[in-house]
Parts: sequence; structure tokens; C-alpha cells
Amino acid sequence: MTWFTDIWNQFYETMIVDERYLQIFWGLGNTLTITIVAILIGTLIGTLVAMVKAKVFNPRNAVLKFIFKIFDIIGSIYLTVIRGTPMILQLMLMYYAILTNITNGVTVACIAFGINSGAYVAEVIRTGILSVDKGQMEAGRSLGLTQTTTMFKIIFPQALKNVLPALGNEFIALLKETSVAGYIGIHDLTKGSDIIRTVTYDSFTPLISAGLVYLVLVVGLTSLLGCFERRLRKSDIR
Amino acid sequence: MISVKNLEKAFGENKVLCGINQEIQKGEKVVIVGPSGSGKSTFLRCLNLLEVPTGGEIWFEGQNITDPKCDINRLRQKMGMVFQHFNLFPHLTVKKNITMAPVHLKLMSQKEADELAMQLLARVGLAEKADSYPAQLSGGQKQRIAIVRALAMKPDVMLFDEPTSALDPEMVGEVLQVMKQLADEGMTMVVVTHEMGFAREVATRVLFMDQGNVLEEAPPEEFFAHPKNARLQDFLSKVL
Repeated sequence: MTWFTDIWNQFYETMIVDERYLQIFWGLGNTLTITIVAILIGTLIGTLVAMVKAKVFNPRNAVLKFIFKIFDIIGSIYLTVIRGTPMILQLMLMYYAILTNITNGVTVACIAFGINSGAYVAEVIRTGILSVDKGQMEAGRSLGLTQTTTMFKIIFPQALKNVLPALGNEFIALLKETSVAGYIGIHDLTKGSDIIRTVTYDSFTPLISAGLVYLVLVVGLTSLLGCFERRLRKSDIR
Repeated sequence: MISVKNLEKAFGENKVLCGINQEIQKGEKVVIVGPSGSGKSTFLRCLNLLEVPTGGEIWFEGQNITDPKCDINRLRQKMGMVFQHFNLFPHLTVKKNITMAPVHLKLMSQKEADELAMQLLARVGLAEKADSYPAQLSGGQKQRIAIVRALAMKPDVMLFDEPTSALDPEMVGEVLQVMKQLADEGMTMVVVTHEMGFAREVATRVLFMDQGNVLEEAPPEEFFAHPKNARLQDFLSKVL
């Protein structure tokens, strides 16, 4: 019993006194903001890049063909650069060199993490599009549907179902990777616990607390994705 | 109804169709047979531009569909196609599979499409499967649904690309039965198949293709009883 009291006392001294838990709380807010906005930006960019890379549009028109060829090249460069350099570096570059007129660090982080995540999401979604049998597109087209309609009504729903676990993986990784936001002075969950550490000289309690919060977030996100996946798998029941 | 003039198709260096000329009249049931790799599926797929020909012309209901300006989506609505591997949409129920295209293309309301779907499903004996998903059906059932899906567009011609080749032997009959029924109702049909019995019974004309050419065409009685081409004689001696 004394062991438990010791832990509680330590927790109380470190986290509750002076309302230091608020550091974690405010940090959580920023972590969530960055994660959610970055997921939205990343999914948008990723879907667009995936559609270009998977040759979803193959116009007969020569001018359009040329334009999509250019998009394709831009997409390749984007994927190479973003996946080939460290996230922290991209974040610092954005904050200190590129988006210098945006003073709000969280906004910069949302953009930087969104752009970074987009590259990974693009490859995941492209895999999904390629995983759907070619016959599905042919069946849609043979009924007189346009390429775009077939893509959105027939191919995408099946592709999404196939890649949802991989997409979940990416979102979980993104959530945890936002912990480097402290490098540009953002008060996120990790930074919050670090602030408590430097004030109290107790490393264990604040770091474990932040870790538990991350864990809860990931478990929540996982179950949310699981729910969604079960809904999409309805048609697999035999 | 369909007029094919000097149709050519090459995949890179590989010439698959070497100048095919065909006239398919309304109400005809043309069955195409031939060894694998003879170009019969490619020919069929060229008819609705799933394969884009590299030469020649295809006219359908008075329009040159090989002309880049032609609205192929509009013409495909009038050409139903049935595939070897069914290609049902696995994420949609049977009824949705059937009604999706006509409703989306605003050819009918959801209610009309549903009624038509149920009517067609009843005709192929699968009305009770309307709310099932394709994964819950047997191969024969899937193919009958695929035929219904094409029919729901009220096509003028139906193209069949080896519709029974992916089926268990005991399921071939039920699909051929539906096709026969369709033929009896006067549908114009172009069928690529290995079912010689079906060709003999249903076809008004049988084509034999080999190496990208139509080597022989005749009514089925003549085609099977008195084949003239040596390659065809050889082929028939192996399959019959």
C-alpha cells in the first residue's frame, strides 16, 4: 500500500501542484489540432496525387494528356523529396525559411505535417486503386458510365476498403510524429510534459503521463477505424 | 446494325486483328469460335471500344464509333456486355448492381429501375437474391445477374465474352438457358464461346477466327457438318 501512496504522492507533487497538468492539457489541444488538420490536408493531397499517379484520368485530348504528364512529374518529385527527407527538417524549413510570414507555429505545423502525410497517403491510396480488378472499370465503362463516375462510384469504395488498415497505420504514425512540433516552439503534448520535467526535476511522471495520453488517443483512433472498416466489410459476408 | 470495316488491332508489334470485315444485322445471333489467342475476345472488346482499334472503322447504328469525336459513353449504353469473370460490383447489392447505371445516367428513376430489376431478376429466377451481395452468390448466379445488369440498360445488342468459361460445369447450363431465352426474344447477340452445343443450337451464323482473321463463316448446320477450311476441320476434330 505504501508503494501506491508513494506513486500518488509523486504524481500529486509533479502534476497537480500549481495545476501543472494543464501543461499536458494545453499540449493535447495542439497535438489534436495539428493531427486532425494534417490528416485532412494529407488525405486531400494524397488522393489527388494518387489519382494522377495511378493514371485515373487518361484523356484522349493531346493538350490534357500533356498537362497530366506534367502533373505526374510534379507528383513524382513531391513523393521523392517528402519521403526522402526527415520530418523535423521539413518542419523547421517551413517555419524558419519558407512560411516566415506565418507567425503561428501551429498553423505552420498543420501545413508541414499535412504535406508530409500526403506523400504517404498518396502511395497508400494508389495501392488501393491498383488493387481493384481491371474488370471493374471495364464493367462500369461497358454500362456507359464515364471514367470519372466509374472511378468514384465503383473503384474508390473498393480501394478504400482494401487500404483502410494501411491508412490507419499512417494516421497513427502521424499522430505520434507530431511530437517533434516542440522543435519549432509549439506547446504540444510532448513539449507539455517536458516543461513539467524541467520545472519539477521529475522525469518519470510527466513523460509517462504524456505517453498514456498518446496511448489512449491511438486506441481511440484504432477503434474508430475498426468501426468504419466493419461497415465497409458488410458486403463480404457470405 | 454493326458494321466492321477492315478492323485492325495491334498491341505493340503483336498484331491481334488483321483486317476484319463484318456486317451484323439486327436480330442476328453471331457466335465466334476459335483457339485461344485467335483474337476473338479482342474483336468483341473492340466492338464497344474497351480495346481501341489501331485501324479500320466500326459503325454502330449509323455512327462511326471509331471517330474520336463520337460520344462512346452514349453508344455503350446501347451495347450490353457480359464478361468471363462476371465483374459484378462487390460492394453493392444485387439490386444496386442492376439499377446503378440506369439511375445514374438518368435513364429512369430509382423506382422504375427497381421495378425493372425485380422483373428481370424474376425472369432469371433470382428475385429472392435482390438484396444479397455478389460474394454470397454462386458463379452461375453471378453471371445471370451480370446478364440482367446489362439488360437493365435496355441495350440493342448484347456482347458475351466467354460467359461460361469461368463456371463450374454444372452451372454452365443455367447461364446458357438464360442466353437462349434472350435469343428467342429476338435480341441481337454476339457471343464468343467454347460451347459448341450453344453455337449449333442458337447461332444464326458462326464465325471461326484464327490468328486475327475470320477464316470461315457459315450457318451452324453447314459450319459443323461441312467445314471447308483445313484449320477449322482440325479445330473441330479436337473440340467435338
